Formats: sequence, structure tokens, C-alpha cells
Amino acid sequence: MTTDPHRDASAAPLLSVRAIEKSFPGVRALSGVSFEAARGEVHALLGENGAGKSTLIKIISGVFPPDRGEVLVDGKLVDLARPDDARRAGIATIYQELLLFPELTVAENIFMGHAPRAGLRRIDWRAMREKTNALLASLEIHDLQADRIVGSLSVGNRQRVEILRALSQDARILIMDEPTAALTEYDVTRLFDIVRKLKARGVAVIYISHRLDEIFAIADRVTVLRDGAHVATRRVAETDAAGLVQLMVGRKIESLFPKVTVPIGEPVLEVTELERQPLTRSVSLTVRAGEIVGLAGLVGSGRSELAQTIFGVTPAESGETRIGGQRVDIRSPAQARSLGVAYVPEDRGTQGLVRPMTVRENFSLAALGKVAIGGFIDRGAERRLAGDGVRRFAVKTSSLEQIAGKLSGGNQQKIVLGKWLANGPKLLILDEPTRGIDVGAKAEIHRLMGELAAQGLAILMISSELPEVLGMSDRVLVMREGRIVAEFSREEATQESVGAAMMGSHENAEKAA
Amino acid sequence: MSEIPLAQAAKRVIPWWLLRHETMLALILLIALIGLGGMNSRFLTLDNLLNQGRLTTEVGLIALPMTFIIITGGIDLSVGSIVGLCAILLGYSWKTFGFPLPLAIGFSLLVGAAAGFLNGIVITKVKVPPLIMTIATLALYRGLAEGISQARSVRGYPEWFYFVGQENLLGVPAQLWLLLIAIVVSAVVLDRTTFGRTLYAIGNNETAARFSGLPVDRVKLIIYTLSGLMAGLSACVLVSRVTTTRSDMGIGYELDVIAAVVLGGTSIFGGVGTIWGTVVGIAMIQLLKNGLALTGVKGDATIVVIGTVLILSTLVASSLQRRREGV
Repeated sequence: MTTDPHRDASAAPLLSVRAIEKSFPGVRALSGVSFEAARGEVHALLGENGAGKSTLIKIISGVFPPDRGEVLVDGKLVDLARPDDARRAGIATIYQELLLFPELTVAENIFMGHAPRAGLRRIDWRAMREKTNALLASLEIHDLQADRIVGSLSVGNRQRVEILRALSQDARILIMDEPTAALTEYDVTRLFDIVRKLKARGVAVIYISHRLDEIFAIADRVTVLRDGAHVATRRVAETDAAGLVQLMVGRKIESLFPKVTVPIGEPVLEVTELERQPLTRSVSLTVRAGEIVGLAGLVGSGRSELAQTIFGVTPAESGETRIGGQRVDIRSPAQARSLGVAYVPEDRGTQGLVRPMTVRENFSLAALGKVAIGGFIDRGAERRLAGDGVRRFAVKTSSLEQIAGKLSGGNQQKIVLGKWLANGPKLLILDEPTRGIDVGAKAEIHRLMGELAAQGLAILMISSELPEVLGMSDRVLVMREGRIVAEFSREEATQESVGAAMMGSHENAEKAA
Repeated sequence: MSEIPLAQAAKRVIPWWLLRHETMLALILLIALIGLGGMNSRFLTLDNLLNQGRLTTEVGLIALPMTFIIITGGIDLSVGSIVGLCAILLGYSWKTFGFPLPLAIGFSLLVGAAAGFLNGIVITKVKVPPLIMTIATLALYRGLAEGISQARSVRGYPEWFYFVGQENLLGVPAQLWLLLIAIVVSAVVLDRTTFGRTLYAIGNNETAARFSGLPVDRVKLIIYTLSGLMAGLSACVLVSRVTTTRSDMGIGYELDVIAAVVLGGTSIFGGVGTIWGTVVGIAMIQLLKNGLALTGVKGDATIVVIGTVLILSTLVASSLQRRREGV
């Protein structure tokens, strides 16, 4: 199906989704969801994990058919039996996991499957390069060349390649699934620039994100889904964050950052001049019992590296570490664990969770010693441990034998957190504890952090979300290029002061804000 | 959602154990047994089956630690060569060094363990991929065996030494008891202990296992050492059965062993597998070989049949895997 993009804007919206229903064995994923997107509109889809956003976009992209309901493009019914049908209808989707070929060039990736041809069906390399350059120029992307190998690009640039790929197929409806989840703040700004350009061209963008501030920054309208049902569609200008959160979770969340002030005790972790090249350089810091210390910094400033050095994944080359006043030399995670240090890593999928294993097995993984007698696992004790964790953290799972990788991101994160707390640690290092999880789960994790601090746990929290750092921390440390460059008390820490320290200068900080 | 555990499981239409690879394989095995038994009256006799057990013990002993290794996502290709090396050193140390035979047995077991330990230490410390390291030692250990033996075989062991390989204990081939004990111990270790759990965790996500404070390197070192030790034991049983020591012993064992383990449903990518599966895999290969031979099928055709069975079982396994993951 081909349509003239310059055709007069008719009354029909560009994309119209009507009364979509979809069930999977045992689950009603979508029950009668409808929404519309006009030319040049950015339409946000909002909902907690498991609300049905992914299912909905998969139906619109032709990954699987709906049980009931229809999709119309330009007022005409389209049959989306396969992804290829969606592509021909002008629908392109950019998934969270970018689907690129890392060994191929930018141009090859963009034109994979529809390369311009010369005689004898040979690929016309020159035309391909020229078209790529034209696409790059049309979006004013100057730091990307047609012959760069995609594997060497930053995440932001790879995403731009995906967008170009969609444009090269004349996509008029672009679906973006959490496009900013892995982006730095700078790349987010650039992404928004591109989205605005697409808007101006009349492309409809379906934008899925957990970050409310982004929705207010970029979207025209927002449709909220909850438990597979359509809750509301609002003009962004006529709503506010609190209202959207309430629609999403169906209940009021009192405060996004319920900071509880608790008495601060003795130092639990003291680190002096810790060194581990290249990104941990002469770091000194202290975290006390009951204290939440926020560690801010840009991506690549060495925060995770520092955490992993403290935790013994990459042991320190020099420097001194004290846990509860005792001098220790942590050489492995196992040793860190026995000293009462817990680390909830940044990358849930590869570092935190064993996705193919069950909820029960994941809960007990870091606390096997607690549920085993002489090396033999006591199944009853293990089930109790996991059952307690599921209840305490309100993990939504059908059973303890559920495969952990099938749960939503928020629930996975609760398991990773729970598995470490099962050991009763003294120091908890949280690396991006709420990245990519929905608002409800986020609030629960924040509430839990407050509770744990109140119980005397020392918490070191790494976060790229400034509001989170400012909202949760008693103290804020800022890292840049492997060093701690600034320290702020809760009162001193503001978006501007912390942002400036992260960037290394005031002018830059203003640009980022 | 607190009243969760059993309700969901009961809802499934097909019981989970029927969908398991091991069960399917056991069913296929049963059908094949009946079929082959129908074609040849000598096949389905207790004598024949026990004798097949005797013949398969050497491969079986090695397949158990190999199951552990493959579950972690590793592989050990050097086991056949370790069998050769240990067999040679058993004969050599007894005949040439004049070790008393029990000491010679101990010595060859020790060498087996040391050979496995060397694999393990290089794999964990130098981070050489297991495939590369054990291909290298496959050549190295075989070379040592040939160098030491100088193509001379050793025979004439004392009579008592042949007990394990040739006699019966309580009506069952003596070495089969050894295998049975090893099977039970391995199965319990894999299914019930923190060690077994660690193997699965490594195979499914080594980084997460490490980040969870599991002793990943130590566990790997142990399983490669165990693999060498069991190859040494296998060598002793083999020498006891065939009464002679030659440097070409155990050639190709690694492939028989890996075939049995994979046929038994252990994923070559790690993370999935059971001892029971491996046991069924071993039985299947040995009985197919024997049954086909008795029915008059030529050796070449037997290999073709085994290859086909292996491919089919892999297909079944991957479709079951997809089903579990709900893709």
C-alpha cells in the first residue's frame, strides 16, 4: 500500500486504533483500547509495566494480530498480519533493544533490505552513500558518517541510525519504545530536536516513556493505559504530573520522594584514596548508618566503576577501605558479601538477575548459605525466603516458580533488591535503582530505601536522575572523570549546583538544565 | 498475590514432567527397545543389557562431570586423551617404576585430576575459552601418552585387578556399581546442593552469578578437575576390562560423552540439563548401537542412525525450550 504523503490532510487522523482486544493464554493483555494520532502529533503512551503498552505497539507494528479491533491508516483499514505489512503502511517501530548490525556501516544498516540497486541487481553503493548523507543532512546530524561501523557508535548515534532507517522507508508513523532509557541527557536533547523535526514534516510519533518530564517536554497528547484498558486521553497542556500518575496507578502517590529523616549513626563504609585505573582515581568517601548518600555524575564519570571496586568485582589497586571501622581488603564479591556489602547493579538483565531461572532461585542466589545446611539446599527454607521476599517487596508474580525474566522491569528490580536484602547487609550500594521501571514500582523502591535507612542501613545510591538524587539523598557526591569533585549537603544540593559540578562548569550546567 | 504457588501449576493442561526432555527421550528409548527387541530375541535379555552396561561404564563415568561442565556453558574435549594418559601411566608406573598396583592406580587418578586441574586453572585464570584450552590439551595429553608408552603395551596385571572390569557383584557387573554410585552422587549434588545451583547460575548468567558473590572460578576449577579425575577412573576401569594398556585408549571418547550429554537434554549453551537426562542419553546411544548391531545393521549405518537421533533430539529440545520461554 502506497500513499502520497503530500495528499491534502483529510478529516481522518493519520493513525487510528480502534477497540483492540488481545488475550494471551491466561492473561487479558488488552481490552478495547482505542486512540488516534494526527499528522505531526507526538502522542505519548503511558502506563505502568504490564499495562499493555508493549502489546499495543506490537499489534500496530504487525508483530502479532489483535483478537478484535482494527487499525486504520489515513482512514483506511490496514491488515497488519506481518511486520512487513506495517512497514508498507508507513509504520516503523524503534524498539528499546536497537535492532542493528554492529559489524556493518551506518549506510548499510539504514538500507538493509531495501538498498538502492544498480544494473544486474548489484547494490548501488554510491547512491546508498548519497541517500544516507541526504538523510543525515535532513535531520542536521553532523557527527555521523555514512561509512562508520555501527558497533563503534554511541547509543545515541545508534538510535539516530534506527530513526534514519525508518525514514528511509518513508515511515509516516514512528513508534518509539522508551527511546531515552539508555541515553545521556545530551542525547535526549538531540533526540527531542529530531522528534520536533519529524513533527514538522507531518510524521506522527507514538512515544512511550516512563519519564513524565519527557512527556511534558515533547508530547501533544497522552493516552494512559492501565491493566490493558484505556483509562484516558488528555492534552498534555491540560494535565499535570500528579494527575497522570494518578491515572496510571489508579491511586494517589503522596510524594514521589518520601524522604524520611532518620538519625545518622557511625560510619559503615570509609574509603580513602581508592585507586583503580582508569576510572577510580583517589576516591575518598564515607557512608554512615542510616544515611543515604547520592552519587551523581554523567554517564562514564566512573560511578559504577567505583561501586564495583568497592564491591570487589574489580578490586582496588591501592587505597584503604574500612567497613564498620575494620580495615578490609575486598578482593571478590563473595568477600564483600560476607562483610555485609550488597550491590544492586546497574544492568539488571546481565548483572543483577539470572533471567532464565525462577523467582525462587533468584531470591536465594546471594543468600544460598542461609538456606543450605552443609551445602545442601533446604527447599522449604528457600521457598520461605523467596515467599517472604515476594510479600515484602510486593513482587507481582504468578508463582515462585515463574521464570524471573518474564516479569516486568520493576518486579525484576524488586527481586534483585530483595535477593541482596535477604543477607541482611550493613551497606547497600544501589546503581541506578529505578532505571526503566514504572512510576508505581519506583515509588515503592523509594519508600523501601527510606525504610531501610531508618533501620540503620547505610545506602550509597548512584543515579542519573537528578530529581531522584536530590529527593532521596542526605548528602550528594558528584563524580567526574573518576574523581569526586564536589560534595553537597541536602540543603545545598540543587539542580543547578549539582548539575554544574557534574558538567565541570557553570555554563555547561545551564545548557544541560 | 500471596496465595500463589500451586494453583497456577495445576492449571496447565499437560503435566510438566511429560514435556521434559528427559521424559520424551525415555519414551523414545522405550519404543526403540521394544522395536529392537521384537526384531532380535537376544537383545532384550538381562544378560545382554547388563553386558551393555559394562561396556558403557567408561563413557558414563566421564559423562557425569561433563554434564556439570556443559551446564556451566563450558566443554572438556581433553577427556579422551586423559583416559589414554592415565591408562599409560597406570601401566608404566606399575611395570617400569615398580609401583605396587594400588599405588599405581592412585597415581594415575592423581594424574587425571592434575590434568583436569591444569585445564581449569588456565580457563579460569588466563580466561582461555574452554573449547580452545581443551583442544590444546587434547593434543598435549595424547602426545604425552604416546611419548611415554613408545607404542609398547603393558599386560599381565595381577588377577585381582580384573575384578572391577570383568566380574559380577551381586549378579551385576562390578563396574556398573561404580557407575551407579557416581550417578546418584552427581544427581544429588546437581539437584540439591548450593554447588549444583551455582553450576546452573554460571551457565545462565555468569556475570550475575559473580555479582551475587558465588564462587564462580572455584566451582569451575573443581568441575574441570573432577572431569580429569573421572577420566582417570574411567581409564582404570577400561584397563581392567580389556586387560591391556595402550596409548590409543580413549580416542574419540570426548565425542561419545558429549553426544550422550547433549542427547540427554543438556544445553550446549549452558544453564539447562540434568543427570537423569545424561543417563538416558548414555543408555540410548549404547543400546541403539548394540540393538542395531544385533539386528545385523552394519557399523556405518549405526553411526548414521545415532547422528540422526542426535539431530532429532536437539530439535525436540529446542522446541521445548521455546515453549518454556513462551517465544
